[in-house]
Amino acid sequence: MAIHEIRVGYIGQDTKGQEVASEAQRTIGLSGLEKVRTAKVYRLEGATDEDALRLAQTLLAEPIDQIFTIDQPLITDTLQIVEVAYQLGVMNPEADSIMKSAKDLGINLTAADSSTEYGFYGTVDQEEVAQVVNRLLVNKIVEQVVYEKPQTLIIKGEPGIVEIIPIRSASADEMAALSKDKLFLSDQEMKVIQSHCITLGRDPYDGELETIAARWSEHCGHKTFRAKVIVDGVEKPPLFTRISETAKKYFGNEVVSAFDDNSGVMKFYDGQAICGKVETHNSPSAIEPYGGAMTGSGGVFRDILGTGQGAKIVISTDMFCFAPPDLDPSKLPEGTLHPDYLQRRVVAGVRDYGNRMGIPTNNGSVHYHEDFRAKPTVIVGSYGIIPENRAQKGQPEIGDLVVIIGGRTGRDGIHGATFSSGEMTERTINVNSSAVQIGNAIEEKRMADAIIEARDKDLIRAITDCGAAGFSSAVGEMGENTGVVVDIEKAPLKYPGLSPWEIWLSESQERMVASIDPSKINEFLNVCKKYNAEATVIGHFDDSNKLTVKYGDQMVVDLDYDFLKNGLPQRTMNAHWEKSESDEAFIEMPIDWIDTFKKVLSHGNVASKEPIVRQYDHGVQGTNVLPPFGGEKFDGPNDAVVITPILGKPYGMIVAHGINPILNRIDPYWGSVWATAEAMANYVAVGGDPDEAVLVNNYIWPFPDEDAMGSLDLSVDAVVDCMNALERPVISGKDSLSSTYRGKDGQVIKIPPVLCMSVFGRIPDIEKTVTSDIKKENSSLYLVGALDRGMAGSTYYDVNGLVGDEVPKIDLKVLPAVLRGVHEAIKSGEVLACHDVSEGGIISAISEMAFGGDCGVELSLSAQMQRPDLFLFNETAGTFVVEVENDEIANNLFGTLPYIRLGKTTQAKTINVKVGEDDLFTVPTDELKQAWQEPLRRIFH
Amino acid sequence: MARAIKEDISLKERGPQVCVLKTDGINCDEETVNAFSVAGGRTKTVHINELRANEDNLNNYQILALPGGFSYGDDIASGKILALELNSYLADQIDDFVNGKKGLVLGVCNGFQVLVRSGLLPFGTMGEMKATLTNNDSGHFECRWIDLRIEDDNACVFLEGMNGVMSYQVAHGEGKFFAEGQVLDQIEREKLVVLRYSDPLGNPTQQYPENPNGSLNAIAGITDFSGRILGLMPHPERFIRLTQHPNWRRMPNLEPQGLPIFERMVNYASQM
Repeated sequence: MAIHEIRVGYIGQDTKGQEVASEAQRTIGLSGLEKVRTAKVYRLEGATDEDALRLAQTLLAEPIDQIFTIDQPLITDTLQIVEVAYQLGVMNPEADSIMKSAKDLGINLTAADSSTEYGFYGTVDQEEVAQVVNRLLVNKIVEQVVYEKPQTLIIKGEPGIVEIIPIRSASADEMAALSKDKLFLSDQEMKVIQSHCITLGRDPYDGELETIAARWSEHCGHKTFRAKVIVDGVEKPPLFTRISETAKKYFGNEVVSAFDDNSGVMKFYDGQAICGKVETHNSPSAIEPYGGAMTGSGGVFRDILGTGQGAKIVISTDMFCFAPPDLDPSKLPEGTLHPDYLQRRVVAGVRDYGNRMGIPTNNGSVHYHEDFRAKPTVIVGSYGIIPENRAQKGQPEIGDLVVIIGGRTGRDGIHGATFSSGEMTERTINVNSSAVQIGNAIEEKRMADAIIEARDKDLIRAITDCGAAGFSSAVGEMGENTGVVVDIEKAPLKYPGLSPWEIWLSESQERMVASIDPSKINEFLNVCKKYNAEATVIGHFDDSNKLTVKYGDQMVVDLDYDFLKNGLPQRTMNAHWEKSESDEAFIEMPIDWIDTFKKVLSHGNVASKEPIVRQYDHGVQGTNVLPPFGGEKFDGPNDAVVITPILGKPYGMIVAHGINPILNRIDPYWGSVWATAEAMANYVAVGGDPDEAVLVNNYIWPFPDEDAMGSLDLSVDAVVDCMNALERPVISGKDSLSSTYRGKDGQVIKIPPVLCMSVFGRIPDIEKTVTSDIKKENSSLYLVGALDRGMAGSTYYDVNGLVGDEVPKIDLKVLPAVLRGVHEAIKSGEVLACHDVSEGGIISAISEMAFGGDCGVELSLSAQMQRPDLFLFNETAGTFVVEVENDEIANNLFGTLPYIRLGKTTQAKTINVKVGEDDLFTVPTDELKQAWQEPLRRIFH
Repeated sequence: MARAIKEDISLKERGPQVCVLKTDGINCDEETVNAFSVAGGRTKTVHINELRANEDNLNNYQILALPGGFSYGDDIASGKILALELNSYLADQIDDFVNGKKGLVLGVCNGFQVLVRSGLLPFGTMGEMKATLTNNDSGHFECRWIDLRIEDDNACVFLEGMNGVMSYQVAHGEGKFFAEGQVLDQIEREKLVVLRYSDPLGNPTQQYPENPNGSLNAIAGITDFSGRILGLMPHPERFIRLTQHPNWRRMPNLEPQGLPIFERMVNYASQM
C-alpha cells in the first residue's frame, strides 16, 4: 500500500522556525533571512485514505493552532524548502509512538516515520540555505536531506553469515590492516590472538575476534591503568593499583562496594545505600553531539540501574569542556564541529534524556579552552539510591536464565568500544559513523520502572547494562565465573539483516541483561510486561567456564574464559613528563579595574551557566533542597546539590565536583590536587561533612605516549596524596585516553588533560546546610583557608593573554582542617552564607554571593597590600568566603584556622573595594551581574 | 521547620482513595503519591495497563491524579498519545468517575496537557479539544520558580477560600495556554481560571520570565464547569515541605505552598 504523507504546520507562532532563523542570523550572519517556517511530515505506510484523514485529524494535527495537508505540500509560498529526516536505519523514537497511538485508534499501520520541512523566506540564495541546512539542521552522521518520497519505510534484509577470519596465515601487514579500522589492538596483542588460534588449531569466527577486541579494548580493558609503568627508568605499580590500594585504607564501615560493580556504593540511612558513577562520552559527542550526549546520559543512568540488584537514579550531573563558542571557524581542524553548535547540541542531548527520564540534572560545569576544538570533553555522572540488602553486585548461579530487557537491537553503535579507544583523526567522522546512536529516553524509563519493581519483589539475581560492546561485554562479563550459553537469534531486532556478530556487538541503547532464577522468570516477565518493557530469555548460565554464542544452529563464539580473561598481555608503559620552560608571567596592576573585573566575570569559565541549568529539570522527584541557583532573584549560584532521596526524611545526599583542565596541562600534579580540593570545597561549602564523603575520579587524557603517560602518572600520584591527606577513598572511576587529534597533514592537537573529581556523601539533617547568597545587611565576610600565590592558569591571567608558570599549590597539610572547620561552622548554624573560591578568584566568589543576596559589599584590604589584583583574582581552591554576623562569632568558628576579615555586606547594591583608606573601585552590583550573565544568555536565549 | 507535618492517623484510615495514574514516561508519580499521602490520602500508583486489563477500576477511587512527565515521550504533541489512549479505552470509566461518582481530578504539567488534549478541560467535551497547551514562546523547556495568583472568585470547588500569591516551580517546554477568543471569553466568564502567572504582588503578567511561556491571559491553571477537575502547569507536589523551596534559608516565615492543594482535595473528597 502506498505511503500517505501528512504535513502539519502552525497557524500562528512557529517557535521552531523562529529558533532556526535566529540561530542562522546569530551564527552564520544571514541578515537577509526574514523567517523560517516549519512543517512536520508524517509518513504512514499501510493506511487507507480514510485512516490517513482520521489520523491527521485526531492524532497528528492539533485542532486549535495547527493545519494539515494530506499528500499535498503545506508550505506553498516559498520555493526554498528543505526536508530533514533521520537516515534509513537510524531509529526515529517517534515512529513507535505513532504506531502505538494509531493502534489505540484501531488502525494498524505497517510502518511510520516523521521528519521536518523547513521553508526559508527573505533574500537568501540556495547557497545560503545550504549553509543553514549543513551547519544547523543536518548532522550527516544520523540525518539526511530528503529529495524524493521514499517508496517504502520498511527496512528489509537477509541475515548476514558467520565469517571465518584466516588469521593464522595472516602477514604482518594483513594483521595491521585488520587492527587499524576495526579492532584497534596493538601488534603484540594481535600476535597473542594469532598464536592462540594456532594452538587451537582453527581460525576464529568474526564474532570471536570482535569479542576479544572489545574485551581487550582500552575502553573495557583499561590496559593503560593496569600497565606496568616505568617513570624515567624506575618501575612503579600500575596506576589502578595505586588508586585502589590507597583507597582501601579509607573504606571504613560505610563503603558497601568499590570498583567491582557498575558504580561505587556507600551506606546512607534507614537501611539504604547511595551510589555514584561518572562516565565520558567524548568520541560520540564529537561527531554527533546530540545523540552522543543523550546516549552518554542513558549509559551512565544504566550504570546506576545496573548496580546491585538495581538502584533508583536520583541525580544526573554534566561537566563539559569546549573550545570558546566564538572560535574563528577557520581554526577548526578538518572533520570537527564548531563549538557553538557542539555546546548547544550537547546541552540539548543531556536535557532531552534527563528530563524525559525524570532525573534531576542539578550539578555540573562548563569549561572553555581553544584546544578542545579538536574534541570536546563530555562528562556525565549519575547517582542512585538502593536498599543496602540489594546493593552488592549479584553473581549468576548455574541454571539461571539470561534475560535481555529493553530496546531492540539494531546496527547502531557497532564498534563503539574499540572506536572510543582510538585517537580522533580527520577520517573518524566518516569511517566510524555507525558508532553513533540515537537515544530513546522513554524506552529506558519503561525499563527502569520495571527493574525497580522487580528488585523490590526480589526477582533479580544479577543485572548489568549493555554499554560498550553490547551483549558481548554484558553477557560475557556476567558469565565469566561460571560459563554461559546464549542464542542471539532470539534477540528481538529493530530490523532484519544483521550479521550474527553485529547482533552480539551492537551497542543499541536502552538494553540490560539480567540473571533470573528460573522459578521467578514468569513473575519477572509479567512485571516487564506491565511497564511495556520488552524482555526475552536468550540462554542460561552453566558450569562450562566457556562463552558460547549461537545463532540458531550456527556457532558464533566458542571461547574459553581463561583466554578472554587472562590472555591479554600486560603492557609496559614508559612515562616521562617535563614541565615546559616558561617564565612566570609579569602583569601590571589593572588601570581600569572595572573593565578588567567585567572581563573576568564574563570569561566563559566564570560566567553564569544559569541559561543551561534552566533547560534541565532540576526539581523533578521533589527531592531538591539546595538547587543549583537560589537567592533573592533565584540567580545566585550554589556550589553543590543537596537532595533528600527519601521524601519526608531529613537525610541529605550531597554531590559536587572539581575540574580544571588548564591547570592540569601546566602542572598535572598540582592541577589534580586543585581539582580534588575544589571538589571537596564545593561539597563542604553547602554543608557536606568531609569525613562522610567518597570520591569518583575520571581521567580524560591524551593518547598515552611517554609524555601523556608521564602527566597521567603525576595526576594519579596527586589523587593518591589527596586520599591520604583527606583520609577519604576513591570508590569508582573511569579513564578515557583518546584526547589526541591527528590530522592528515601531520597536525597533532593534544587536548588538555582533564581530571574530573566528583564527590558524594551523606548528612543526617539537611537543615544544617547553607547557600551562597548573602543573607543579611551589615554582616561580615571572611576568607577562610590558606591562599597560595600561584596565579598560572587563572582567569585573570587568561583575560590578559597570559598563562604563567606557577599554579596554585594547595597545602594538603592545612586543607583537611579547613574543610572540617568550615563544616563544623555550618553545622553550628552560625554561617549565613558560604561560597568556595574557584575560577574568577575571591572577588568573583564575593560578587556571586552579592548577586544572590541582591545587595552589595564593602571590602577593606590591608593598606600594606601591594598587589590587590593578585589577591582579589586569586583562585586557590579549598578556600571559602563566609558570611557570619560579626568578628566575635568568626573568631569562635575559625580561630584555629587561617582566616582574614574581608569586609561587610551592604544594602546598597555596589561592590566597593578599599585598600587601607583609599578607594580602589566601586561598581554597581547589577552592572557586574549583567556582564556575568550575558555570555551564555546570548547563546541559550 | 516552620510547619510540622503531623500524620493524622484518623484521616489516614478514612482518607479518600487516590489513584495516581502512570504510564510510559510519567515521572512525577512518586512525589505526587507523597504529596497526597502527606495530605492524608490513601494513595496507589496504577499503571494504565492495569485499568485497560480490568485489574483495577477508577470506581475504587475518589481522586484521580495525572502526574507530570513525558507520557510516551510527548511525541507528536505533549500528552497527546495518553489523551487518545484515555479516550479510546477508558472513556466510560472516566465518564462514570467524573460525572457519575463525582470524583475529583488533578492534572499537573503533563497531566494538565493530557486533560486539555482529551477535551476534559475546559468544558468536559471528551474527544474534542477546545483549548491547547502549545510551545513556550521561548521555544524551549525551562525550569524555574514563579509566582502565581489564585483567582479570588473561581469555579474550583475544593480550593474555595484559598487565595493570595504562591511560589511554585514550573518545568515544561509546552505550557502556553491558548484558545480562540470565544472559548477564552467563556473560560473567563464562567470563572474557570484558577491560577495566573503574576508578579510578586499578584498582578497577572505577560512578561517573561514571570509568565514563563506566554500563556494567554497569564493562565496557569483552569477548572471545568463542575469545578471538580483542576489542571495546572506549575508543580504543587514539589512544594510539600518548606525545604523544597530554594530560599527557605532566607525566608523563615515561608509555608509549603503546594500542600494546601492536596489537603483541600483530600478534605473535600473525604466529606463527599
